[in-house]
Amino acid sequence: MSLDSFLVLLTDIITFYAAYLIVVIALNLQYGYAGIPNFGLAFSVAGGAYITGALTGRIAMWYYGVDSGLDFIDDNSFITDILNEHLANDPVGGLTIFFIMLLICIGINALLGFIASYPAIRLRADYLMMTLIAMAEGIRVIGLNYRPLVGATFWIHVPDLFAWVGEYRRIVVTLLALGFSLLVLFIVHLIVNSPAGRLLKAMRENELTAESVGKDITRLRMKTMVLGAVLASFAGFWWSILSGVVLSAAYTRTDWTFWPWLMLMIGGRGNNLGSALGTAAVILLRRFIIYYKHSLEQYIPFSVVWLESILLGVALILIITFRPEGLLPERPIVVRGIKDYRRFLDKVKNKVSRESTS
Amino acid sequence: MFPPVIKDAVIYANLILMLAIGFTLTYLIAKIPNFAHGTFAGIGIYTTFWVARVKHMNPYISPPIAFILGAIVGASIFLVVIQTLRKYKATPISLTISTIALNIIMVALLNIYADYVRESTEETIFTRGFQFRRLDFRLFDLPGVLIATTILIVFLILSLHLMLTKTKFGIALRATVENSDLATMMGVNVDRVSTFSWFLTGGLASLSGSFLPLWFQGNPGTGNLLMTSVFAASILGGINSIYGAMIGGYMLGLSEILITSLLAKYISGSLAAYRMLIPLTILSVSLLMAPTGIMGIVEKYREKKATIARKEIETTPEIKAEIEKEEKERVFVEREGMKS
Repeated sequence: MSLDSFLVLLTDIITFYAAYLIVVIALNLQYGYAGIPNFGLAFSVAGGAYITGALTGRIAMWYYGVDSGLDFIDDNSFITDILNEHLANDPVGGLTIFFIMLLICIGINALLGFIASYPAIRLRADYLMMTLIAMAEGIRVIGLNYRPLVGATFWIHVPDLFAWVGEYRRIVVTLLALGFSLLVLFIVHLIVNSPAGRLLKAMRENELTAESVGKDITRLRMKTMVLGAVLASFAGFWWSILSGVVLSAAYTRTDWTFWPWLMLMIGGRGNNLGSALGTAAVILLRRFIIYYKHSLEQYIPFSVVWLESILLGVALILIITFRPEGLLPERPIVVRGIKDYRRFLDKVKNKVSRESTS
Repeated sequence: MFPPVIKDAVIYANLILMLAIGFTLTYLIAKIPNFAHGTFAGIGIYTTFWVARVKHMNPYISPPIAFILGAIVGASIFLVVIQTLRKYKATPISLTISTIALNIIMVALLNIYADYVRESTEETIFTRGFQFRRLDFRLFDLPGVLIATTILIVFLILSLHLMLTKTKFGIALRATVENSDLATMMGVNVDRVSTFSWFLTGGLASLSGSFLPLWFQGNPGTGNLLMTSVFAASILGGINSIYGAMIGGYMLGLSEILITSLLAKYISGSLAAYRMLIPLTILSVSLLMAPTGIMGIVEKYREKKATIARKEIETTPEIKAEIEKEEKERVFVEREGMKS
């Protein structure tokens, strides 16, 4: 394998890894730590992607003052070409639009996450599961039919905000995405190891107990859902920027809900390192299947797509049956200073016992 | 005789009702939402496909075969997967995930079957997006599937009601729904009741699916698309009651088609594509307004009436005197007991 094709392979795998890692971390926060089974991850991912697809080009058009007589959807490839020419020599403009888009994505998806989980947030987990799975299907129906959003059943291009990087643009953007997802991992790691994270775990273990010490469970659950929605939408955001197109039909629940669930269950829920490991394992397996598609198709009498589905299903059932805690099981939270506190307690105890004996 | 929209709506409502009954039944017995439920309907759809397209027979041979096939799949899923998971002390969420995993596997198998048929037969046949309206019979200018499903629904509701209220097995089933531990203590074989519920669920869903291609388009993923309507139907009717599923299924099926057609007629024709958003809206609104559904409201009303009636009885003078007398006697007996 030559260096070039190896680089292509590597960037391909990292692209998938970066996008899926964010989704799995969002899921780990929601299900692994807070115990909220979110089967509507595809909702937020699609939300992020649709917002990016619909607004990046329009904002860039406004930023560069491109003729507004053009129809954004009909003349999409033409507009994207013009914008890419502008962006190729303008790092400041590209980065400005990038950060504006990031903020818009956070704002809108926080709102969408709130709306999606609002009806069932006070009720049992079953209701939430059903509502979210239906919501994810609903946003896809809108994406597939509302043409001004992302061109209904066609796709639209996302202007290349990093066109100014030049030759190694793809590698640089892929690494940026990876860095971003690792940053998300780090932030979530900080959150779950803070008192707020311990509260999430308390809610997961026993809601009644958490409520009895004065915690507002509904509000906490709502906050987790909104945070999770924002995190998951980053995956859609990066996925659109990395691939350069938004295809409304691509955000299926199999791809963006069930595969992340398998990754989380394999890696180990409630363990961030586990999620990273599980994501890597599943991504490598899936990419492997795609690369050796032609040789595989000689041995199996049906399309590889269905082989992937069956593998996903069987692996999910096996993992929840025989190793529900995953490859890396959850560990007790390390509280900073707990050793000092214990030492202090021992000291006090010794002092008390000495005083009582004397 | 009827406008075509009404026909659509009634057939759709009949199908959703059958699906909602099964979904609610497994939810009540197993306490988990069965996300593979829609794909049981897919089994029925492809049974009809097999009968009508591959074997070139009358499509009405398909429903009994579909029922048995779906029932066997349902029962074996329960016995093989759910029971194994229970043995390994799986949480309810793990059980739910297993139904999702099964759903993915079943959809993949249906797709493989569709591909296989397309490639193995010489004549070109559509193995996806098929519909057999032309093979259906007509009676009094009505499509046969409308008459057949309506008769079947009436029969189904009557027989389910009789089974639940009159037979020993039905009472055991209701006891399991109320409290499975207590039912076990009273000698109910909960495993047998659960197996039966999955058997019936799979059968009914598949039966519903077997009628679907006679009026609507059939695909490997059609069952999945129906799931939103089924969730909405069960929640609208009240997920804690089988009768609720009947009411909710019918109401949702009718309103989904009728509201869509009204919107398409009076606002814009392009709105018809957003049909799936109607059950989603109904689902959200009913969760916000009445999470226990229509049956929950009925139950509350009944309880209120019962308490009012009880109070009325308690305030009539004769009964009041009697209650006071009993109270005095009780106090007297207690005092005597304390003295001795």
